[in-house]
Amino acid sequence: MTHNGISRYSMEIATALLTGGIGVAICYGAWQVGTGWTPSGPDSGYFPFWIGVLVVAGSLINLLRTIIGHRHKDEVFLDAARLRSLARFTLPIIGFAVISLLLGLYVGTTLYVFFAMRLQGHYAWWKSLASGIAISVCFYLLFELVFQVPLLKGPLEHALGIY
Amino acid sequence: MNNLSLLMDGFATILTWNHLMIMVIGVMLGMLVGVLPGLGAPNGVSLLLPLTFTMDPVSAIILLSCMYWGALFGGSTTSILFNIPGEPSSVATTFDGYPMARNGEATRALTLAFMSAGLGALAGVVMITLLANWVAQFGLKFSSPEYFAVYFLAFCSFIGMSSSAPSKTLVSMMLGLAFATVGMDSVSGGLRLTFGIPDLVKGISFLVAVMGLFGIAELMVTTEEGLSFNGIKSRIRIMDILRTVAELPRYWVSLVRSILIGIWMGITPAGPTAASFMSHGIAKRFSKHPERFGKGEPNGIVSPEAADHSAGTSALLPMLALGVPGSATAAVMMGGLMIWGLTPGPMLFITRPDFVWGLIASMYLGNVVAVILVLATVPLYASILRVPFAIIGPVIVAVIFTGVYQVANSTFDFWLLLFFALLGYLFKKLDYPVAPLVLTMVLGHRAEEAFRQSMVMSDGSLTIFWSNSLVTTIMGLGALMLVWPLISKVTGLRGWRQRLHRQKPENHKSSTPDSRA
Repeated sequence: MTHNGISRYSMEIATALLTGGIGVAICYGAWQVGTGWTPSGPDSGYFPFWIGVLVVAGSLINLLRTIIGHRHKDEVFLDAARLRSLARFTLPIIGFAVISLLLGLYVGTTLYVFFAMRLQGHYAWWKSLASGIAISVCFYLLFELVFQVPLLKGPLEHALGIY
Repeated sequence: MNNLSLLMDGFATILTWNHLMIMVIGVMLGMLVGVLPGLGAPNGVSLLLPLTFTMDPVSAIILLSCMYWGALFGGSTTSILFNIPGEPSSVATTFDGYPMARNGEATRALTLAFMSAGLGALAGVVMITLLANWVAQFGLKFSSPEYFAVYFLAFCSFIGMSSSAPSKTLVSMMLGLAFATVGMDSVSGGLRLTFGIPDLVKGISFLVAVMGLFGIAELMVTTEEGLSFNGIKSRIRIMDILRTVAELPRYWVSLVRSILIGIWMGITPAGPTAASFMSHGIAKRFSKHPERFGKGEPNGIVSPEAADHSAGTSALLPMLALGVPGSATAAVMMGGLMIWGLTPGPMLFITRPDFVWGLIASMYLGNVVAVILVLATVPLYASILRVPFAIIGPVIVAVIFTGVYQVANSTFDFWLLLFFALLGYLFKKLDYPVAPLVLTMVLGHRAEEAFRQSMVMSDGSLTIFWSNSLVTTIMGLGALMLVWPLISKVTGLRGWRQRLHRQKPENHKSSTPDSRA
């Protein structure tokens, strides 16, 4: 952390560690199923294992380039104001995913649009609610009736007898 | 001429009311996703793809490819009227397009952009018509080692041609390959990299990845910048359009040069974005009046647009003929082909000529339809952008979630979507290229299969990749691409290219203090 936000330097390092971690996981997963040679050719872990090695190698280069070269030391990745608007946008999305899992996509969409409009645009509650419901209804008409692809439904739809 | 008669057959396939309607719908939807921030061509095609699973492949590919053309045009519209590139590939259009529109010549700027884009696309299709059969014939000589060599060349060109750090491109690409291997191993039938999570057995869909990487991540960057739209009111007058069309021949040098750049960058997987930047940069460099660029110079609109669209169309040639897509959107379409049960590559020309030539014919017609439609509907689409982002943003997110659910009816994909959104956000802000990840995710299975079959053929010896002149040449080109950053550093070429890239975004920012507040 620098005095006015998260520095790009620390985010470069964090991202290199993240990709490197994924690379290690790939290698481990590939090693579990076997990375050698079988009578029918390379084992199923052979190809992913070497891909994982390349991911780790690339991440390591990125990490070292950042640290040794002191790259992006003075650049700001996110300042407090941007972090706030980012959080206002991202947190409702995570809530959307959780609610959709529990209550289905229609209820999820309605609530999400409602909260997002309240939070990001400071719209009146009735405008936000009306938009949320309108969009859900549009989705229902478009997907279930026009394209005939069912979306995820929850207890509310079951109670109302909509399948 | 053989190709010509095949093309006529293609026209016969597509000239039905049904297909024409699909074309119009595709172009309109494409313009919509092109105009909306955060929804680009790869994303739009991914969203639409699950809805085409039950369509016949010819109609489906017409819908998706027309959506692609529409998105390319829509992206240019917002670049010119709002100084907001709707597509990464239309960033270069903002440099001169927005200044010209601000000077009160919005119609002229839009017409220049659309006409040169249309010409670029047509040139790309003509190239495909002439070369497709020949490339496919050539591709028929390929067996597994040659195929792997072609994939190797494509991967290496990414590293060599990208303006990002080579190690970042490598990480992005290899992650894509790794994600593609998750789930059932198609050769042995066993499971791998699932880590005991049952939802990973079906694998990670590239569609979910695209929607996270290109959709949500793009929106995150957009909100963070606190986007406000300062649009220019556009009234399209027929007289202005005609006058601009009449002045177009004056820019023939720029047009021809940009089309050639576009075709080259489209066939090699450098893609439309690089093509448009490069074309604008070169136009400025060779211009007699470089000081006029950035202030509304017509050549500065014609060049990136013609290159962007000729690259976009040309990207379909390697996809069709060899099974190696030249852009992220082409990669998504190729994934679609495989889902519809078609195998992209030279055999497609023999087994489904109606599909291949129907698509090529639809590209001629689709682009003409697109130019006309886009000119007619610009005010309509421009009005969409006047809806505040606090409404549009959540609606786009909701559409993406429904799209993700439709891919496999799995709620686990919501979490994958959020993971890819985070990855895409970090990658975008830290200059990791994202397109290579999508390309390798689509190509992963085929690349691995080609590799494993080669290994079986050679009994585990890597020398098979140097066993005949064809495969050696392709591998050699790949290796050359791999060390290209080093070569160009030594010869000083890279410095020039980087200056080109660096100077553009700065120009862009400084000319628009209002939209970046």
